[in-house]
Amino acid sequence: MAPQQFGAGRAVFDDRRIGMALAAPAALFVALAFILPVAVLLSGGFQGVDGWTLARFAEFAEEPLYREVFWRTVKLGALVTLTSAVLGYATALAIVDAGPTWKGRWSGLVMLPLMISPVARTYAWIVLLGRTGFVNQVITGLGLSAEPLRLLFTETAVFIGLVQLFLPLMVLSLVSALENLPADVVPAARVLGARWPTVFFRVLLPLSREGLVIGGTLVFTGSVTAYITPAVLGGSKVLMLETLLYQRVSVASDFASASVIALILIVMSVVTHALLKRASSARKR
Amino acid sequence: MNGMRAAGALALGAVLLFLLGPFVVIALAGLSAGETLAFPPQGLSLRWVIAVFGMENFRASFWLSLQLGIGSTLLALLLGVPAAYGLARYKVPGREAIRTVLIAPLIVPGIIVGLALLRHAVIPLDLGVTWALTLAHTVLVVPYAVRVVTASLDNLRTDVEEAAVMLGATRLQSFFRIVLPNIRSGIIAAFILGFVTSFNQVPVSLFLTGPGITTLPIDMLTSMEFVYDPSIAALSALMALLSIAIVAVAERALGLSRYV
Repeated sequence: MAPQQFGAGRAVFDDRRIGMALAAPAALFVALAFILPVAVLLSGGFQGVDGWTLARFAEFAEEPLYREVFWRTVKLGALVTLTSAVLGYATALAIVDAGPTWKGRWSGLVMLPLMISPVARTYAWIVLLGRTGFVNQVITGLGLSAEPLRLLFTETAVFIGLVQLFLPLMVLSLVSALENLPADVVPAARVLGARWPTVFFRVLLPLSREGLVIGGTLVFTGSVTAYITPAVLGGSKVLMLETLLYQRVSVASDFASASVIALILIVMSVVTHALLKRASSARKR
Repeated sequence: MNGMRAAGALALGAVLLFLLGPFVVIALAGLSAGETLAFPPQGLSLRWVIAVFGMENFRASFWLSLQLGIGSTLLALLLGVPAAYGLARYKVPGREAIRTVLIAPLIVPGIIVGLALLRHAVIPLDLGVTWALTLAHTVLVVPYAVRVVTASLDNLRTDVEEAAVMLGATRLQSFFRIVLPNIRSGIIAAFILGFVTSFNQVPVSLFLTGPGITTLPIDMLTSMEFVYDPSIAALSALMALLSIAIVAVAERALGLSRYV
């Protein structure tokens, strides 16, 4: 779903003060209840014994566990995004190809999981991947393994959970991008003798690139800043940045690390959102 | 072409199975007649669905989540609707900057918002748990309120308001009699979106819940570690049904997807 360029309406009335008075309560509220506390929290990452310092960041980078968690988070984010892109294109192309009524229905079905709490969505994987879960029942039943496999609390489990969580975002973004292509582009390429891989890589992909970027940034940000899925499916064995943050605060009251992690998360989120804005406003050209 | 069609259909089917299958699993597991969480379930029964309604802790957290959702969304609308109107219709200096501020909570991961509020607002001001949660959830919902109502206002032709003002109506009259009725579905859509967001929210509330006072999703999360019966599955299925029903009704009645 592409973010619309909102606020494009024409300002009608000249009286600035009324406008400011109307917007003031909300702006003040967000400033005091959000910007201020978050800024103070982030500043904690720069504070040392005698004032401003980057020592906290250095300490964080030196700790092997934190480095491992950081790279795991980035790695899983990238893998989930790549997988979503591949599956997303396959699904989006099939949806766009369907007739007008079915396109809406398939899209609705893909969008359905987004309405449901991530807690419910993630819990299903516990039922499926546990020691006595369905997957293990099939595996031991078919004799593929003598013992039930440990599937939960692995990176694979978190990976699967994250793909299931964010794939709809990618699919919808790609459907939106592919829908806007002129209808004769693909037939024209085929008539000119292009085979399917060529059609995809040299025609469809470049033309739907913005949808891919939008979907990709949504999926990447979501995966990297996820909490519930890593918490439920990864536990303390497979920590990601947010579950690490929670652990550092609730177990060790380690607010310095918390501030550092918070800063890393915000930077990642802001950068990807800035890219998102670039990509969606580029579309307007 | 038929080969590609078939491959595409297969891909679509597989992906939909992957995305929606887990709900079927959860629903069936919640409808189990047995004592332990299992899929396939050992027989079907409504016993756990009914039992969940009787569980005191889940009832309490459901009630809190409900009140929190309604309260924070109403507050967010109270703040956001005037702000959206003021920024859309008046030449306010720094319009874009103010808009960015109002949307900012969307970009920051919820867990950071919760922690920041805990350390630098709740503890210093000695706020109670319910107030803390309300504050955090309102912060979370304001961006949705502002965004959706702004989209609504953008779609409303301004000449109707201008005409009203020219014909002698005060701005207040023009707002309540012309603008509000026309953006009503936008406001309702914002309410539903905000409510669902708040109700399902976990990260923001993580640091702000207190002993005995917790939201439903967090209650479910903590219970997962030591509950091995189908009650959480039944509850998940119920929550999923509720969310789907709300959004389906909203889509039918208002065309929710227009505002998102």
